[in-house]
Amino acid sequence: MFGIKKFLFGDGLNENLPPDVKSAVSAWLAQETASLESSHFLTRYVVVDIASDGLDPASNSLTGIAATVVHQGIVSPEQSVYVDLTSADEAIQARQLAAFLRFIGKSPLVAYHVAYVSAFLQNLLKKRLGIAFAARWVDLAWLLPAMFDEISHKPMPLDDWLTAFGLDVGEGRRSPSENNLMLARLLQMLMVRAHAKGVDGVEALIGESKASSHLRRTH
Amino acid sequence: MDVEQVESMLRQEGQRRAAGNTQAFLARHAPFNKMAPTALQLFAEKAHIAFYPAGSVIVGPESGNVRFFYLIESGKVQARQAGEVTVTEYSILSLGVGECFPIGAVTAGRPSTNIYTAVEDSFCYQLPAEHYLTLMATSPEFNLFCTQYIASLLDQSRRQLQAQFAQKASEQQTLNSPLAGIGARNPVSVLPDTPLRAALEAMSQLGIGSMVVADAAKKPVGIFTRSDLLDRVVLADLPLTAPISQAMSASPFTLNEHATAYDAMLAMATHGIRHVLVTDHAGCLSGVVSERDLFALQRVGLRQIRQAIESAPSVEALKASAADVRQLSFNMLAQGIGAEQLTQFISALNDALTRRVIQLNLDRHDFAGIDWCWLAFGSEGRDEQTFSTDQDNGIVYTVPEGDDKEALKQRFLAFALDTNKDLDQVGFPLCKGNIMASNPQWCLTLDEWRAQFSKWIRTPEPVALLNATIFFDFRPLYGKSELSDSMRRHLLSQASATPIFLQAMARNALEVGPPLGKIRDFVTDLEPDHPGKIDLKKYGSRIFVDVARIYALAAGVHSTNTIQRLKLSAQKMNIKGEEINAVLDGLNFIQLLRLQHQYLEGEPGRQGDNLIDPDKLNELDRRILKESFRQARKIQSRLKLDYQVNN
Repeated sequence: MFGIKKFLFGDGLNENLPPDVKSAVSAWLAQETASLESSHFLTRYVVVDIASDGLDPASNSLTGIAATVVHQGIVSPEQSVYVDLTSADEAIQARQLAAFLRFIGKSPLVAYHVAYVSAFLQNLLKKRLGIAFAARWVDLAWLLPAMFDEISHKPMPLDDWLTAFGLDVGEGRRSPSENNLMLARLLQMLMVRAHAKGVDGVEALIGESKASSHLRRTH
Repeated sequence: MDVEQVESMLRQEGQRRAAGNTQAFLARHAPFNKMAPTALQLFAEKAHIAFYPAGSVIVGPESGNVRFFYLIESGKVQARQAGEVTVTEYSILSLGVGECFPIGAVTAGRPSTNIYTAVEDSFCYQLPAEHYLTLMATSPEFNLFCTQYIASLLDQSRRQLQAQFAQKASEQQTLNSPLAGIGARNPVSVLPDTPLRAALEAMSQLGIGSMVVADAAKKPVGIFTRSDLLDRVVLADLPLTAPISQAMSASPFTLNEHATAYDAMLAMATHGIRHVLVTDHAGCLSGVVSERDLFALQRVGLRQIRQAIESAPSVEALKASAADVRQLSFNMLAQGIGAEQLTQFISALNDALTRRVIQLNLDRHDFAGIDWCWLAFGSEGRDEQTFSTDQDNGIVYTVPEGDDKEALKQRFLAFALDTNKDLDQVGFPLCKGNIMASNPQWCLTLDEWRAQFSKWIRTPEPVALLNATIFFDFRPLYGKSELSDSMRRHLLSQASATPIFLQAMARNALEVGPPLGKIRDFVTDLEPDHPGKIDLKKYGSRIFVDVARIYALAAGVHSTNTIQRLKLSAQKMNIKGEEINAVLDGLNFIQLLRLQHQYLEGEPGRQGDNLIDPDKLNELDRRILKESFRQARKIQSRLKLDYQVNN
C-alpha cells in the first residue's frame, strides 16, 4: 500500500503537514489535466519564473516564484500570483506552495530554460511538501529558435529575443513578475506562429520544444 | 489562514507586481503620465495584454458593442471608416504606440464605426469597459482626455458634414455628366412574382416612392410607383396578394449608365415619366434617376458665387451674383434644406455682398486712421434674413482727437448714401422707415449710440420699445467690430439692470399672441385685408424673436440670432434642453413655411408675403404648424410668468 502511494506520489506527502495543506496538495495530485486544450487559444498556459539567491539549484534556494496565466490569447495581471519565499518559516512556505499548486493546477507551464526553473521548483516542493513535482513544461528558450528560425536558429539570451521582436527590455533587472509578462508576450506571438506552422495544441508544442532541445543540443 | 486565503493573498501580490511593467509604460504616455498613481494601478491591474499579428482585425462594427478600451503598446494599428458615410475627417488613420481607441464607442457602449486592424504585429492593452468607466469617473485627467477627444470627434464630424454640404452645393455638375454618377445607385428591386403587400411593405420601410421590378438576372422589367397604387391597386380592387407584375408599368424606360443627364431629362419630358432606370453594360439594373436628381444638377455653386462676389469689380457684377444667391437658395430650399441652415446661408452670402458693396464704395471714400464700423440691424442683425429683406443699417465711429466731429459725420453720411443706393441696386431695397446709415439719426459716434441706448432703456415709451426691437439686434458687418462689442456690453449691463424696461418689453411682446382658435385650429381673420390667411411673421416668428430678445438682454447673452439667444439663455436660466428644443423646432418650422411660401409660391424675382392659407396646407403641415404655435404660446406664458405681466 505504502509502495503504491510512494510510486504515485513520489516519496509521498509530508506527513507532518497541517490538514488544509495536506488536503490541498492531495487534491492537486489527484487533479486531472484541464479538459479544454484542443487549441492554444483554449489552453490555459501558466508562465512561471523564479528568483533565487544563486544559480545552482542544488545549493541555492528560491526566494520567490511568479506565475501568470495566458488564456484565450490574453495576458491579464489579475490572473497572476507571486510567492514571496523570503520568509524563513517552513510552515508558511508549505502553505504558500500548496496555494501555488492550486493556482497553477495541471496547466502546462511555460518558462525560459525549463531545466533551471523546474529544478529549483522540484527541490523546494520536495523539501516542503514531500512531493515529486512533475509538470508539462514548454521551454521558450528552445521553442523560439524552432518557431522563429528567421531570427535565430539557436537559443539566445532572452533580451535578444525581446529586442528582435521590438519589445521594450526596460532598464536593469526585471523582477520575476515583470519577466513573466515579457515571456507571456513571447508566448502570445509564438502561439500565432505555431498555428501558422500547424503546431496546434499543447502536446505538439511540448513535442516541438523537446525536439528542438534535442536537435540543437546534439547537432 | 488556510491555503485558499493564502492563494488569494498570493494573487493580490501577483497582480500588484505584474502591473508594474504596465505602469512603467503608462508613465511614458499622455494622458496617463498625468494621472494619479491609484488610477494607473487600476489600469495596470485590470488591463489585459493582447497580441494582434499584422493583418488581424482588433475591433470593428461587427464585433458588437465595444467591450474594451485599447491602448497600443507596440506596433501600428490602422483605423478605417466602415460605412460609406464619412463621419470624421480621415477615412484612414494610422495609430501608433501610446494611442488609444475607440474612445467614442467604448464610452457610449456601442459598436465601433471604424475597423481597427493591426498593420504590424501589435500588442495592445485592453481595459474592460467597466473599468474604463470607473477610470472615467475617478480620474479627472483621464476624463478630460476622453471627453475632449469625444468633443473633437463630434466637432470633426460636424465640420465634415458642413464641408460635405458645401461641397455638395458647390459641385457644379452639368447636364453632360453620365448617369453613372447621378441618383440612387444599386436601387432595391423585387421579382415580378413578389406579392404587392411585400413590395409595399418594403417601400414603406425604405421610405421610397417607387419600386423597380427586375427579373432574377437583375434585368428591369417594370416599375411600380405610388400613383400606380391608387390607379391600379386601390381603384382597380386588386388584392394585395396579387403579384406586383399585375400592377407595375411594364417595359420601363431605361438608359445606359453612359448616357447623360440631358438624355434622361429629354426622356422624362418626351415620355412624361418621372423616373429613368439606369442599366450597366450587361443590361442589369444599376441605378435610378428621378426628376428630383436632375433638378439638383442645375444648382449654382456656392464657392463660385462667393468667389464672384469677393472679386466683383463693380455693382453691376454684384447684381449678377445676387441673382445667383437667389437661385442657389431657391435650389437649396427645393432640396429640403432646413430653415435654420438656409437663413444662415443666405445671411452669409448677403453679408459677403454687403461687404463687397462697402469695399467698392470705400475706394471713393477714405476713412484711414478712423475707427468705424458698419452695423446691421433687425433681421439682418439677427442673421435671419430672407433674400430681399429691406436694408436696416447704421454706422458707429469715434472721432479722433482734434478732428472736427461734424465734418467727419458729413463724410460718413456721404459714404453711407452711396452705399445705401448701391445696396438697393444689388437687391436690398431701401428701408421705408429710413433705418439706414445715410440717415443722420443712425450714423452716430460710440458715445452717442450708448447715450441713445441708455435713453431708450430708461424711458421705455412706445417709440423707444419699437426701436429697441430693431436696434438692439445689431451686428457688426464691416470695420472695427470692437466698437460694436463695446455697444453690446453697454446695452447688456444697462438692460439687465433695468427690470422696468424688460417688463415693458415683455408687455409689448405679449400684445400679439399666436393665432390658435378656441374652436377651430387657427384664427384666420386677424388681418382684415387678408381674410382666411395667417401672417406667419407677425403672429408666428416674431413672437419667438421678441421673447428671445428679452431673455437674451436679461441673461446677458451676446448673440443676436434668435435660435442662439434661446439656446444660450435657456442654459443660463436652467430651462430644460428638451423644452427649448421643442420651441426651436416650432420656430424653425414656421420659418421654413415662410421661406417656402416666399420662394416657391411667390412670383419669380419678387419676394412674396408672409400670408399663408392654413386650409391649403396638407394635414401633416397643419398639425405641425398648430404645434409650433402652441410652442409660441408656451414661451409667451413663460415670459408672462417671469415678468408678471397681466393682460
